[in-house]
Parts: sequence; C-alpha cells; structure tokens
Amino acid sequence: MDSEDDMHDANDVESLDDFYSGETALASDEDDGDYEFIDNDSDDSEDRTSHRQQQNYIILSEEDICVRQEEDITGISTVLFISRVAASILLRHYNWDVSKVHDAWFVDEEGVRKTVGLLEKPVVEFNLSPKEPTCGICFETYPCERMNAAACGHHFCCACWTGYISTSINDGPGCLMLRCPDPSCGAAVGQDMINMLASEDDRDKYSRYLLRSYVEDNKKTKWCPAPGCEYAVDFVVGSASYDVSCNCSYNFCWNCTEEAHRPVDCETVAKWILKNSAESENMNWILANSKPCPKCKRPIEKNQGCMHITCTPPCKFEFCWLCLGSWSDHGERTGGFYACNRYETAKQEGVYDETEKRREMAKNSLERYTHYYERWATNQSSRAKALSDLQQMQAVQLEKLSDKQCQPGSQLKFITEAWLQIVECRRVLKWTYAYGYYLPEQEHAKRQFFEYLQGEAESGLERLHQCAEKELHVYLEAVGPSKDFNEFRTKLAGLTSVTRNYFENLVRALENGLSDVDTHGACSRTSSSKNLGGGGGSKSRGGRGKITSQRPFPSQTKGLDDTNHWSCQHCTFANLNSATTCHMCHNRR
Amino acid sequence: MELLKNPVDGFSAGLVDDDNIFEWNVTITGPPDTIYEGGCFNAIMSFPYNYPNSPPSVRFTSELWHPNVYPDGRVCISILHSPGDDPNGYELASERWSPVHTVETILLSIISMLSSPNDESPANIDAAKEWRDHRDEFKRKVSRIVRKSQEAL
Repeated sequence: MDSEDDMHDANDVESLDDFYSGETALASDEDDGDYEFIDNDSDDSEDRTSHRQQQNYIILSEEDICVRQEEDITGISTVLFISRVAASILLRHYNWDVSKVHDAWFVDEEGVRKTVGLLEKPVVEFNLSPKEPTCGICFETYPCERMNAAACGHHFCCACWTGYISTSINDGPGCLMLRCPDPSCGAAVGQDMINMLASEDDRDKYSRYLLRSYVEDNKKTKWCPAPGCEYAVDFVVGSASYDVSCNCSYNFCWNCTEEAHRPVDCETVAKWILKNSAESENMNWILANSKPCPKCKRPIEKNQGCMHITCTPPCKFEFCWLCLGSWSDHGERTGGFYACNRYETAKQEGVYDETEKRREMAKNSLERYTHYYERWATNQSSRAKALSDLQQMQAVQLEKLSDKQCQPGSQLKFITEAWLQIVECRRVLKWTYAYGYYLPEQEHAKRQFFEYLQGEAESGLERLHQCAEKELHVYLEAVGPSKDFNEFRTKLAGLTSVTRNYFENLVRALENGLSDVDTHGACSRTSSSKNLGGGGGSKSRGGRGKITSQRPFPSQTKGLDDTNHWSCQHCTFANLNSATTCHMCHNRR
Repeated sequence: MELLKNPVDGFSAGLVDDDNIFEWNVTITGPPDTIYEGGCFNAIMSFPYNYPNSPPSVRFTSELWHPNVYPDGRVCISILHSPGDDPNGYELASERWSPVHTVETILLSIISMLSSPNDESPANIDAAKEWRDHRDEFKRKVSRIVRKSQEAL
C-alpha cells in the first residue's frame, strides 16, 4: 500500500514538473497555432491517463447481481457442507462477505451456528403421541400434516405460520432474519419455509429484499443513485479515484454518492451543496442589503431616492434611512433629504459600528459567494447544454456532416471526442469554483497558483467550446466538401488535446491540495541552480522526502545505479541515455 | 378461557364490552414485597385485528407512577414491541413480541416490570430520574398511589 501511494504521488509530482517546464512551450505553440508539441506528448499523457482511469469498478445489472449472489451461496454451501438456504442465511448475517463467513465458521462453527440460528438437530422432539397436536399460537388442534416447524422443531399450524411470515415480510427487510416464533428459540427461518408457507406476493417481496440485501448490506456494492436506474456498482475498495460512470450514463462519486466531483473532495462538496440549499444566503442578502423598518421591522431595500423613507401601508411609518429615527425629528436642520447630521454624529461616537460592520461583512461574503456560485452554476448549465449538443451531434449532425464533407463516420470521431471533453471539462471546472470558494483567503500563493491553473484551463476550454460549436457550423452549412476541413480536424483535435492537458494539470494540482506551491516557490527562488530544485523541494515538502529519493535526481546519483540516465538541465528529469530531448520538458540535452 | 380455568395469581381479566373481544379489562395487583404491594391497578388491553401476529397494547386507567409507564398510562415493555420496530430487533428476538405470547405472559411481564423497573429506556423520564436519584420521594409517591387505588375499589 505504502509504496503504491508513493508511486501515485511521484506520478503527480512528475506531471506537475512537466507542467511547469512545458508551460513556455505551450504558450508559444498557441501563438503559432501549431500543436506538434502536443502530438509528441500525447502518447505519454494518454498512457498516464489510462493508467489513472483504469476501471476500478464493475457495473452490475440485476441479472449480474443474481448470478453473483447464487455463486456466493453455492460456494459457501459446497465448502461448508450446508444447504443453500443455510448458506444464504449465513452470508446475509456476515453482510455477504464470503471470507468473513469462512473465517468465523472455521474458528467457531458452533458459535456461528448459535448466533445465526442454524441448528443441527431439533431442540424439542415433536411429540406425535397426541393425535391432534395444539398450535402454540392459535391454540387450535390440527392433524400433524397441517403443522410445520423450522429446524428447532417448534410446531405451529400452517395458517399461523403464514400470518407470522406475512407480518414480518410487510414490516420490511428485517424478514431476512426471521426466527422461530417461540421467544426462547433462535432458529432461523429460511427461504425454503417462506416459499412453502407464504403467499405469492410475499414470496416475491422476500426475494426482492434478498437481492437488495446483497447490494445494500455488502460493503463493496452500492446502487447507482440516479433516479430510476437499476444498476449496482461493485467497487474495488481502496482505489485512488471514487468516480464511477454508470451504464445509465450518470457519473457519481462512489464515496458520497453525489454526482462526480473530482478533483474536489467529498467534504467540500457536501459543504457546498448544503450552502447552496441553505436559506442562510437569503438571510445574508437581506442582512446586507436591507434595513428593518424601525416600527414594523419588515426589511426594506433602498434602491433609489432620498433618505426620507415611508414604509408601505399599513405601517406608513416615516423615518430617516441613515439613523432610522422618526422623520418628524428631521428636516433642514438635520441636513435635509440627503444627509443626516444625527447619523454622522452618532457614527463618530461609534454607535453604529457593530451593525454597520456586520452589514458590510455580510455584503462582502455574499458577493464572494455569489461570484463563485454564479460561475459554478454557469458551468453546470453549460455542461447540460454541451451534453444535449453532444447527443444532437451523434443523433443527427454527424451523419449530415459525413454526407456534406464526404467523410466516413470513423473520420469524424474527433468531433465526438471534442464534445465529450467539453462535457467532462465543464464538470471539472464547475467543481473548481466550489474548491475556490473554500480555499482560504490568506493562502496567497495557493490562490494565485489555483487561479492561474483555473484560468488557463478555462480559457482553453472556451476556445475548444467555441471551435466545436461555432466553427463546426460552417462545415455543416457548407454546400459541398470544404477544402480546409482537414485543417479544421487538426485544429479541433489539437484543442481537445491541449484542453485535456490543462485540465489534467488542474485536477492533479487540486488533488494534491496545491501542495506543490511551496516547491514551485523554492524552485523559482533557486532558479540559478535548478539542479538543486529537487533538494529544495524535499525540504519544503517535509514528509515527502521519500518521493524525492525515489526520483533519480542528479544530486543524488551517487546512491543510484544511474549510469544509463542523463538529467535534464532545465527540469532535472532523469532521461534514458538514448533520448536526445528531455522526455518531460522537451528541451535538448 | 384458559385464564378462567386456571386463574393466575396477581391479576384478573375480562371483557370491557361483551360484544367486543378486542378490548379487555384487566386488574393487576401490586406484587408482594414491592412498593406496589396492595395496589389494585386497572388497565385496558387492546388487541389489534391481526392478533396474535401483532402485539396488543396495554394502558393503565388507574394512576401509576413508574419509569416504564407513560404519563398517560401506556405500558412500555419490550415484549409489546413487534420485532419490526427495531432494525436490530433480531438480536433480542426473545425479548420482543412473538405470536406465541399470551395474555398471561404479557401480564406476568407487567408484574415483573412493576417489581424491577428498567430505567435505561424510560417512558416516564421524571419517574425514572426520581427512581434513580430520590428513591424515598419515589416510594412516597407510589404508596400514595397504592392507597388511592385501594380507595377506588
């Protein structure tokens, strides 16, 4: 685990270095409209992307769930030599964790049997001597064949069993843990008895509960939270990314089951969602922009006019907006309609300080929140629009374009890819605004770095969106094949790839908690001796020393078998001797 | 029926109204050697239509001061709760309602509740506090109630 984490971090650090060193190259590329650099880099970055996004979950349909459940039950039943019904009860008790069942069973079979209620032999001998035994529930006598019992041998009549089972099933999923009605007896009542004694409706309900239990009680599966979606997700616990993309096309976070919000963490998302829904912002607005009428206390917003305020009927109180005193005490002598001497004097004496300050603060914090919220919401709606544009594109326009430009459908894949990238980027960008809102004001370096990355990513995305939306239009409306369609292809594909890079940098930086700001600072301070950058970084990074030592920095070559590498003068990356340009920053050796 | 043939010490039972077998009148006598000794407490047992699959409810009509009896007289004991009420009910299945329980077992449970209150999940918080912290005051109150119940006879 440890080493894996380190590897992951090391990757991040590497890619950030890549970003810094690549940034000048990128800037000049944009001016030229030349994406060669990106092409060089694309293989590598795609490798990394696919590595990171390696699927760590499986989407399960209802049939898949059934199959898995059956397999687990069969497995346990064969290994432990117990009936399938017993295996099912046992698995449910241990939340469908096969290895836990094994562990518990082989440590203390008797104990497990007792807690779960799987009896090996009846606790009471069914006394057949009276010809007509009495049911312990309704006290009627019945012939033996109309009586029934779980493994314990406590017999009750079939009608009472049916009632007992039905009550329990209609009470909810607790019926999966049904026990013998006798209070002193813990014998489990399994699906075999349910199927024998319950009505068809109840049997169906029971098996639904059993299926649901397999997903809901299992630690590594969850239902997709999208409304109406019937897929479940089996997640590899401990994976780096929580993002799950369900077959119903909904993307969500496995950890908190909110919509996917990478790179922002679940906690921030929860706070943000709460804040958006909370009435508190309304209150904040009222506080910042209104004053209560001194008489009836209704909030009043002053949007124009003089300081003489007349409250609306029925109150009709006339007062001064500044000092909130009755207007009858005002007039020429207090400064007229646009000023108030009383207020000025009182203010100088400090009477209003507290309320004014609060109002001012509320106003600032409200403005700040509004700033981030507006951008968050814009990207949200922009993403929704892009998604519908993408669907429209796939449904109608691609075919039209294929006809007009005489291009086979396979040659138009770059358009779909561009739109998919736009949709994903809008999602990421949206959440970076929630991130920005919670980034502490006093962390200037981090804020600057964050805003820089966000700005780069955003402008990249705007260019891509513009190109995919507007410029494509020209080719859609064209009468015949356009000569420059191939150029357009190169441009859009290039923009897609550039934007993807920008966003990957942004995502990685935010997931690091912008921890490389310090390193960045250290690097630029010691820019005259960049080779020491690694050492400086490790100092300021504190606990991250491990990572640094894993990387073959030139200053540490002594300890490493490193004769096959050369270190880049610009970014310190250790390249293979066979390479002539730096793998990271593309500067020549 | 069964009860009439073999009367059990400590209580008697009968119908409130001869036409309605779902409402029973029961009288519980305070168990000997407890502070409730000598008291005669009336209660109404109401059976649901799907009895015995669901438990009946018991409500004292006589005044009663006890941690597990709500101020309005309703009795709160675990065997009168159906297992479905509590998601963890299966762990204590033996302490919850089961169709095997009868009027007799319920009333015996109530009598045992009178002799040993459970102050961990009280229905009457004031009574529970008093029972725990001011036992003397609690006893005084109970003996007043016992006297009252005798006068009502």
